Formats: sequence, structure tokens, C-alpha cells
Amino acid sequence: MSFDTALRATEILLALAFIQQSAEHLWRTPEIRWLFGLRLVVSVVLLVGFAPTLSLLVLTGLSVVALHHFQGPYNGGSDRMSVLILWCLTLAHTLPNPRWQELAFSYLALQLTLSYFISGWVKLVNADWRTGTALSDVFAFSAYPVAENMRALAHSPRLLLTASWAVIAFEVAFPLALFTPLSLIAALAIAATFHLANACLFGLNRFFWIWLAAYPSLIWFQARVF
Amino acid sequence: MLQFLMLLLPGLIPSWQFFKTVEPSPRVQWRLLSDDGSGDWRDYQPRPQSLSVQAILRRLFWNPDWNDTLFMVSLSERLMDSPTPHSLREIQRRLEGEAAQDPSADRLQFQLVFVSRDGGELIQEITYLSAPWPHP
Repeated sequence: MSFDTALRATEILLALAFIQQSAEHLWRTPEIRWLFGLRLVVSVVLLVGFAPTLSLLVLTGLSVVALHHFQGPYNGGSDRMSVLILWCLTLAHTLPNPRWQELAFSYLALQLTLSYFISGWVKLVNADWRTGTALSDVFAFSAYPVAENMRALAHSPRLLLTASWAVIAFEVAFPLALFTPLSLIAALAIAATFHLANACLFGLNRFFWIWLAAYPSLIWFQARVF
Repeated sequence: MLQFLMLLLPGLIPSWQFFKTVEPSPRVQWRLLSDDGSGDWRDYQPRPQSLSVQAILRRLFWNPDWNDTLFMVSLSERLMDSPTPHSLREIQRRLEGEAAQDPSADRLQFQLVFVSRDGGELIQEITYLSAPWPHP
């Protein structure tokens, strides 16, 4: 995948994710409707590919206003990934030197890799995760299960132990997927399935769409470096 | 400027420590206060008993209420970790939206109940009780 193709693919996926987020905000946070109305319109402009640099600069400004309004991220990690992709894309468009532009986009690929590896590492060093207890707690009393009947999964210790180790092993081993294009595509497919499961079980739909938007950077990075 | 950087930096240099530990989990409960100061507590946006496959798939594309409920969780945690008028006001504003359908009382109140595991038992602890405020 060429640099320009990867940038454009990221723009399209980011625009789609922002349209989805903005529509939800327009419904649920009416006190700041102007912000997300404008964000939705500019995201559509970015989606069709008209004036991408200007669109990204406006979206970057709006992301700062949103952070100030909510005094931090509204939706935790998904908002953080949104900001990261947006800033890396904007820098890849505006930095004067092609090498710096590639560095900005590479930073997104690096952070995407770290998002899996660090998440796996902090679980690996935690005894509660290694025994399945942490995942049991997630289902038993955390705020995330989308329905009460899903809390019953807290009482399936073998399933949770297997799932815990599957998540830990996949996340920690994720950087190894960078060695070949095929292994990377397979790893990204598994990762997308993982986000889809989190969206279904825990309602984290925004994570699913925004993490997909970062994938082109890693596909480009793998071909560029390895 | 410092506040701006403090808001922005976690996005540019994220920690990515998702579910490092499973911390006590907040529930927001609220009530309409009668003249004698009593009222029944009710959960804010209680989750459904079950969801159909169609509903789960639909929520992939449209899930505003759930995402706002997760923001209430963040606000509750902020209120306990580093309370600010912003967190308190955002919680109150959402509860006023809930209470708008029931104008029978003139004051509202909320409490935060944190659920955690102690050995093999789940325990609940009330960690915050708001002052009553006028029902708008």
C-alpha cells in the first residue's frame, strides 16, 4: 500500500467513524449541538476528499474544543485514538518534508502496535488476569456488560480463563505479526474480531470503528520497514 | 496552556493500559425528594435484562444512550478522584433530563454506589451523597 493510498484510506475510515460519533452526540449532547453538527459536516467533506488538509485542521480544532467541553475524553480510549489519528493525519498532510510526513504516520502505526502490546503486557503481569479472576470481575460487577443476563458469564471459570489467556497471548504477540504482510493481515483480522466482540458484549461500538481507521497506517508501515 | 496540554497529551501519548485492574465500579442512583426529605432511590439508565441479536448489531452503529451512560461512569470516577464543579454539573444535568418526565417533586438528589469484590462476595459502598438541588 502506497503512502498516499494509506493516508486516503485512513481519511475515509476516520471520516466514517466521526460521522457515526457526531450523529450520536447530536442525539445525546444537545448543549453542544453546534460543535458536533459542524464536525459531522466537515467529516462528510473529508469523506468525499474535498480539501482534506483544511478539513483535518478544522476537525483538529474541534477535537480540542470537545476535550475542553467534556474536560477530557467523552468515551475514554476511543476518543484518545480519535485524537491520535487526527493529529497524525494532520501532521502527515501539513509537515513540509516528505520524510517528516512519513514519520508522523509511522508514529500512528507504532502507537497502534503499542495499543495491543501494552494492553497485553499489563494483563500478563497481573495475577488476577492470569487466573481469569479479572475477566470474571468485568462480567460480575463492572459497568460494561450490556445486559444483566451477560453477568452470568462471571460464573464460567474455564471459559474465562481460556478467554483471558487468548487475549493476553494475542495482544503480547501482536508485534511479531509485523514480520510478514500475511501475518499482519491475519493479526488485524483477529484484532478486528476482538473489537467486534467488545462492541457486542460491552457496547464499545466506537472502539471498533476508530481502531479500524488506524489499520491502513500499519499495513503501509509494515511494507515500508520490513 | 498547561490545562490544554493536560487534556491533549493523553491522546497524543496514550498509556493503552486497558483493564489493567478491574476497579470498583460506580452506579449512579437518584431520587425525587418529597417535602419530608424522603424518596425512593432508582438506578440511572438501568441496563436491560437481555438484548436480542438484532439490538446488539444495531448498537454497533447507533448506541448514544449507552455511550452517555459510560460517560456518567467516567464522571462518577472523576467526582471521587478529583472532584470539580464540571463533573457534578454534568451528572446533575443528565439526571434533570431523567427527572423531566416526573415533575411531582421540587428537589433532586443523587448518590454514587461503588460495587467491588471482597474475597468471594460482591459488596456495595455509598461513597458520595449529593446535596439536594432544585428540580428545574
